[in-house]
Amino acid sequence: MLETLSFVSILVLAGFGVPLFIIMSLFALTAFSFTDVELSAVAIEIYRISSQASILTIPLFTFAGYMMAESKSPQRLLRFAEAALGWLPGGVAIVSLVICAFFTAFTGASGVTIIALGGLLYPILKNEDYSEEFSLGLITTSGSLGLLFPPSLPIILYGLVAKVDIDKLFLAGIIPGVLLIVILSAWSIKNGNMAKRKTKFNKDELMASFKGAFLELLLPVGVLVGIYGGFTTATEAAALTAFYIFVIECFVYRDLNIFKDIPRVILDSMSLVGGILLILCCALGLTNYLVDEEVPMQILDLMREYLTNKYSFLLFLNVFLLIVGSLMDIFSAIIVVVPLITPIAAEFGVDPIHLAIIFLTNLEIGYITPPVGINLFISSFRFNKPVTELYKASFPFLILLLIALVIITYVPALSLYLVE
Amino acid sequence: MGFFRAIDKGVEKFASIGLVICVLTMLFLSTTVIIMRWFDVTFLWFDPFIRHIVFVSTFLGGVIATGRGTHIGIDILGKYLESKNKLGAQIWIERLIAIVSTGTLVWLITASWDFMLSELKYGKPVFFGIHSGFLTGIIPIGFGLIAYRFFFLFLKSFGEKEEGEGASHA
Repeated sequence: MLETLSFVSILVLAGFGVPLFIIMSLFALTAFSFTDVELSAVAIEIYRISSQASILTIPLFTFAGYMMAESKSPQRLLRFAEAALGWLPGGVAIVSLVICAFFTAFTGASGVTIIALGGLLYPILKNEDYSEEFSLGLITTSGSLGLLFPPSLPIILYGLVAKVDIDKLFLAGIIPGVLLIVILSAWSIKNGNMAKRKTKFNKDELMASFKGAFLELLLPVGVLVGIYGGFTTATEAAALTAFYIFVIECFVYRDLNIFKDIPRVILDSMSLVGGILLILCCALGLTNYLVDEEVPMQILDLMREYLTNKYSFLLFLNVFLLIVGSLMDIFSAIIVVVPLITPIAAEFGVDPIHLAIIFLTNLEIGYITPPVGINLFISSFRFNKPVTELYKASFPFLILLLIALVIITYVPALSLYLVE
Repeated sequence: MGFFRAIDKGVEKFASIGLVICVLTMLFLSTTVIIMRWFDVTFLWFDPFIRHIVFVSTFLGGVIATGRGTHIGIDILGKYLESKNKLGAQIWIERLIAIVSTGTLVWLITASWDFMLSELKYGKPVFFGIHSGFLTGIIPIGFGLIAYRFFFLFLKSFGEKEEGEGASHA
């Protein structure tokens, strides 16, 4: 009785907004107290993170992404993408999708994309006669669009938590990620046809903008060739990417001052990294307790009564993850939910790589799912619009992403083709 | 209040300087080691050393996130109250969050202190001859700094109320 009451109280505290790493720790400490396990076991689990080989990727890729967001890199990349694709019907909208996806892959969908690019893209879209509703919906949706592309932080975190090869996850996300962009691009083309003004193709502008953004355009190619060419591990790629961006932004483009800007960027990026890694540390104790108590297996037994096959399980999983994604941010969701669902999914015969892509796509959609999808609030703050207006603006994009989710869920080959 | 504020500022400054040093060290060291590996030169101490720098950065990042109020949480009720403009209830919830967090962190400090003592007894050197017992000391110290900041947030919430009342009287 006392045990149940304690756990319910902790859940209530979570609803009040107590930081998740505190909730995890409180859960683990309380659970271990009831089972007479030494409390130092929680600290042992926390210390275990210092032996994770790929832990370095998280701070370095995040630091790299924040440096790019703080430099003039968004403007340079936007200029290039506009010159390359802006002449297409719906081209400016497609440019917005591609650039946001690129940025999100490096900044990990922490809201940086909407903050850094929203102000640039919104007037451009409006200038091309896109409706305000379409422009707001597009930017809000694009804020989490590149989550499935390497080297996105949620992919790395998922790999660490689920103990799945991060290199394989990077590959697996590419086709589903492209599918999401293609579907949203088709919608943009449909809306683009109605726009009155169109940008003309200009070869000179294309070449000039390409030269301007060349060093940054090399990055995704460099990361992919480095990892899959067998030249670097994911951790080494993170170190080289961060160092490369540091050098080009501070010494080549000189957008960032090493004494004035870099310390600020370090503090901004590391406050996010600290928050994520603290949850990861503190969740290890709780995860161990849940596994020891065979909680995933108990959930599985319960599920078996209602779900008879893999496809009904996948349907249930999608609904469950959409709810989780609309209530929790992606990092907490990965740390809390992944240890519970991976053994269950394995029992239903879902490939762990495919599961990762389904999981991340759901949470990507959760960013724009009412009532509390975080992108809706970031856009509301950024564009000074009521959040209900954002609900309405993002709704068509939400429907399109749900269609893509169904395809990704029921066609595993999309996620597994490059891996196999 | 001024005394507690000064300590809080000191903690923030310490964490900020520490983070800049840690991140630049992990950046340059990890790049240097990759380049040296191309020439078949490797150091056994590198991996554990760099992972412990990340470990220290985790706590220092947590110290900064506490001050900025940017820790990740579910916060359904907070968002609801914000939408309803219930400022008074929000202040009480913030106090509850700060005091629960401080208490839990004190519990964690006790648990990690015990771990550190047992590691000092049974552990072994990890790198540069540094004993694992000292390295596990990162945990109670890190949680201690974060706990102080939560405690200060709790105190500050009363101070702010007084200041706000003072301002409204004026």
